[in-house]
Amino acid sequence: MAHHHAPSLDDTKTTLDGLGRKVFMISGLVGVIGLAVTVVLGLGEGDDLRHFSFSYLVNFAFFLSISIGALIFVPLQFVTKASWSIVVRRMAEVMASVMPVMLVLAVPVLLLSGRIYGWADPAVAGSHGLAHKAAFLSGGWFTARWIIYMVLWTVFSWYFWRKSLKQDDSGDLALTRKMENMSGFALVVCALSVAVAAFDLLMSIDHLWFSTMFGVYYWSGGFVSFFAVLTLVTMGLQNTGRLTRIISPEHFHDYGKLMFAFTFFWGYIAFSQYMLYWYANIPEETGWYLLRSQNGWGWLGLATVFATFVLPFCGLISRYAKRNRKMLAFWAFWLIVAQWINLYWVVMPEFSDSFVFSPMDVTGFLGVGGIWFAAVTRLAMGHSLVPTRDPRLENSLRFENA
Amino acid sequence: MSAHNASGTVYGLLAEFDSPSLLFEAVTQCRDKGFKHWDVHTPFPVHGMDEAMGIRGSRLPFIVLAGGITGLILATLMQWWMNAVDYPFVISGKPLFGLPAAIPVMFELTILFSAFATFFGMWGLNGLPRLHHPLFSSRRFRRASQDRFFIVIEAQDPKFKLDETRDFLASLGGLAVEEVVDAADGAESVEG
Repeated sequence: MAHHHAPSLDDTKTTLDGLGRKVFMISGLVGVIGLAVTVVLGLGEGDDLRHFSFSYLVNFAFFLSISIGALIFVPLQFVTKASWSIVVRRMAEVMASVMPVMLVLAVPVLLLSGRIYGWADPAVAGSHGLAHKAAFLSGGWFTARWIIYMVLWTVFSWYFWRKSLKQDDSGDLALTRKMENMSGFALVVCALSVAVAAFDLLMSIDHLWFSTMFGVYYWSGGFVSFFAVLTLVTMGLQNTGRLTRIISPEHFHDYGKLMFAFTFFWGYIAFSQYMLYWYANIPEETGWYLLRSQNGWGWLGLATVFATFVLPFCGLISRYAKRNRKMLAFWAFWLIVAQWINLYWVVMPEFSDSFVFSPMDVTGFLGVGGIWFAAVTRLAMGHSLVPTRDPRLENSLRFENA
Repeated sequence: MSAHNASGTVYGLLAEFDSPSLLFEAVTQCRDKGFKHWDVHTPFPVHGMDEAMGIRGSRLPFIVLAGGITGLILATLMQWWMNAVDYPFVISGKPLFGLPAAIPVMFELTILFSAFATFFGMWGLNGLPRLHHPLFSSRRFRRASQDRFFIVIEAQDPKFKLDETRDFLASLGGLAVEEVVDAADGAESVEG
């Protein structure tokens, strides 16, 4: 920009300071109380925690998908040498770096896997449908895989986060080079492990069903949620006087574009998966959709199509909507709810043939979400909310959409 | 409005600048004068130029939207009419008109018609195709693709007055102001 000054980091507040402790305490408290209430409600069902297991899985999978979105987003910025995103990258770094906490949150899923997963049922052991999958879908190996995923994701998310923090102190350009060199490898490893993790976490609930697209289906939904959360977090921070001016309508415009693009991408993936099975009409493939198109689940599925794809597609298509703060906030909030409903529709029909909804789904959301947000806040405390000495920071500050 | 000189109709006035910052100042002044038919030519995209010129958003998105919706409706009606009305034929036990099977073509035609609308809409809005432009007759203007920056105010602008506008452009601190003549137009008027 030749004709007016680009904002600088001195124009705004870039640390959490007192706010961090407050948000950490409140969301941590919401998380602990939420989880406690969910367990009590779950025990109250008197079904040996079966309903609780499925309900918890929805919320765990949802918040994990947001962190996975961040996990992919960060190396993506390095592999493309993007400059627009420098001012928002630190927030993504901490959202990805809560993986160790996600491993702790995965423990209930691992402990209760016998109530969730079809392959864990002793009655199906040795059955023809499981014969070739039994070696892979077994309790011990399943748990081991989750530890491997979480270690991998922690290593890669922390690699970028710690290097980025180190650059805040030293301003060393070699760190950027190192992160760029690592980014391609990180993307390949994370993408593959996320795909297999999605098979494990959600697809294997029905041990007979398979879809090679399922990993992308889970990831792309999470990517939408991640951008939506990033949008709302940025707005929230700006409302407290942080990151104002340096994150401009130009950056929000990009949030909007990414939400729009991946809303469409998700719709494309989800439909491709559906249409092939609908058209081929082979029992072991269509069974999964049949279960989800009856007894109330069909209506929820249809609502999902509109909520996650049709309506946000129309709502976010115009440039005006992407640059209007209130409209963007509305659609970000909407997409978070919609993606959650989609995961609910993926998981819950396996628990009950006909539609169910319980308060435990909401308290579980607050529980897992509270812990997740507290962990993110904790990691963001004590450091700048933007990479202060990234070599491309200037470009990001003066970024404008062409 | 239709100013003439010896060789034909005056297309407009061209002002040449040698830096983007000078250009920005000049552009802002032109905008404030309230010119409607004018343009800026630079060797590379200059960020913020649209706002400096006071250009409002393009109408093209609405043309594209109309094209896309046309494609969507056309694809739906076409498949319904062909498969369920004109030549009903049961294929692998599917309904005569099954929405999932129809969606790929609906998607494709939406994209196709949007692309057509974008391409031809852009042509229409820019008055294309044309084989010649009066500015090409200016030697000076050739450097617009190299290292010089230009403002052109067209003679058809209601606020255009040859001498007054020339003086105004000269006052903006550029390198030169040139009168651009529409040669093709001039040739015609000689014949007539």
